[in-house]
Amino acid sequence: MNSTYAIAIRDFSKRYGSFEAVSNLTLEVEPGSICGLLGPNGSGKTTTFKCLIGLARATAGTMEVEGAPVQPQTFETLAYLPERSALYEWMTVADHLEFNRRSYRSYDPKRAEELVDLFRLERKKKVGKLSKGQHTAVALVLAFSFRPRILVLDEPASGLDPVFQRVVLDLIIEAASTGSTVLFSSHQIGQVERAADRVAILKNGKLIVDGTVDTLKGSEKIVEAIFDQTVPEVDGLAADPRVRRIERSGRILRAYVKEDSDGIARRLNEFSPKNVSILDLNLEDIFITAVGGEIPTVGGDGA
Amino acid sequence: MPAIFTVDPRTGVPLYLQLIEQVKRAVALGSLAPGEQLPTVKALALNLTINPNTVARAYRDLERDGVIETSPGRGSFVRADGSSTGESRRAMDDVANTVLGDAVRETKTLGLSRARAAEIFFEQLDRWFPAGDDHK
Repeated sequence: MNSTYAIAIRDFSKRYGSFEAVSNLTLEVEPGSICGLLGPNGSGKTTTFKCLIGLARATAGTMEVEGAPVQPQTFETLAYLPERSALYEWMTVADHLEFNRRSYRSYDPKRAEELVDLFRLERKKKVGKLSKGQHTAVALVLAFSFRPRILVLDEPASGLDPVFQRVVLDLIIEAASTGSTVLFSSHQIGQVERAADRVAILKNGKLIVDGTVDTLKGSEKIVEAIFDQTVPEVDGLAADPRVRRIERSGRILRAYVKEDSDGIARRLNEFSPKNVSILDLNLEDIFITAVGGEIPTVGGDGA
Repeated sequence: MPAIFTVDPRTGVPLYLQLIEQVKRAVALGSLAPGEQLPTVKALALNLTINPNTVARAYRDLERDGVIETSPGRGSFVRADGSSTGESRRAMDDVANTVLGDAVRETKTLGLSRARAAEIFFEQLDRWFPAGDDHK
């Protein structure tokens, strides 16, 4: 249609005093796509969302929604689900719906009622009496009930049980299939793996992986060699540009390979292993490889 | 809509490739008949809980490969000659190749001899392809 991105974050940095929460982030999201933002706690996801929607000021860089800086009118078409509930404890679920009906011209009361039923919420209950998951559900009802063109969702499934987590994914997928754009963060890699066509991984405020889920999966492989006795020294393997990382444990050597996994497998085969196999990486493997070195070892024997 | 396709997002195989393989398999086996309508992109994305663009990409590739055809406003259909195209048969060969290849590699890892592996293989062949069943 045109080349305008639904969301364009360019050269964005955010400093708090001497701490740089986000460094030089560029992330452009195509209209109609679903972009999943992953990263360990404190990697800058929420900071990015807050600056994108104008709750905090960027130290550097530009943020655009549908080709223009965020302004009050933006919120006629953009829904934002904050990480922490922004609901009023003393108001009921129904009060919130009414409040939103008055605030947004594009609010769809019928849709809101459907969503309240979908999440099995009690209309007369005060928000202060709701569980964490029900809080999230109310916020989701409000976000989806004016059929926004753009959804920015910070941990949209937080506190929800597996059934309602699936409902959230369905809502996201349905929104995208009618042309809306979704940018969401999650700790649940499986959700991103299902719903997102694009994934961005942040670590310490820096974008370390950015691509379509399918391309990432297609491009990274593990070459695993199992030896009879001990794993031999393979000269130059760690420094090989095709290899991202090597793992040795007992009689097993695993090479995380960016390209030419066949070549690496043949190279390992020269050392007469018992077995060599090429394994596909799922998104969790890609995430852990990328974030690498930060995974605390449980058990601690290092084997 | 019957859940005729299943995909596993947790594997390393890209979802659109899984979906393409599933459709080709269904067409080759006849569980999707020539002329039969496929679910819309939106319906299938929601049914499988996967990204709509992933479904759309799979449909585009299937159309390019001559397995399905899409007419704007009407939807996507299995082509009349969809099951006889080389593509569909090649897809079945690919699946068989992968499955048998994995089994043979696994057997080798167990330390069996080539001769013993062949014996087992022919025992299984006899079990599933009884004599006189050459054309089925």
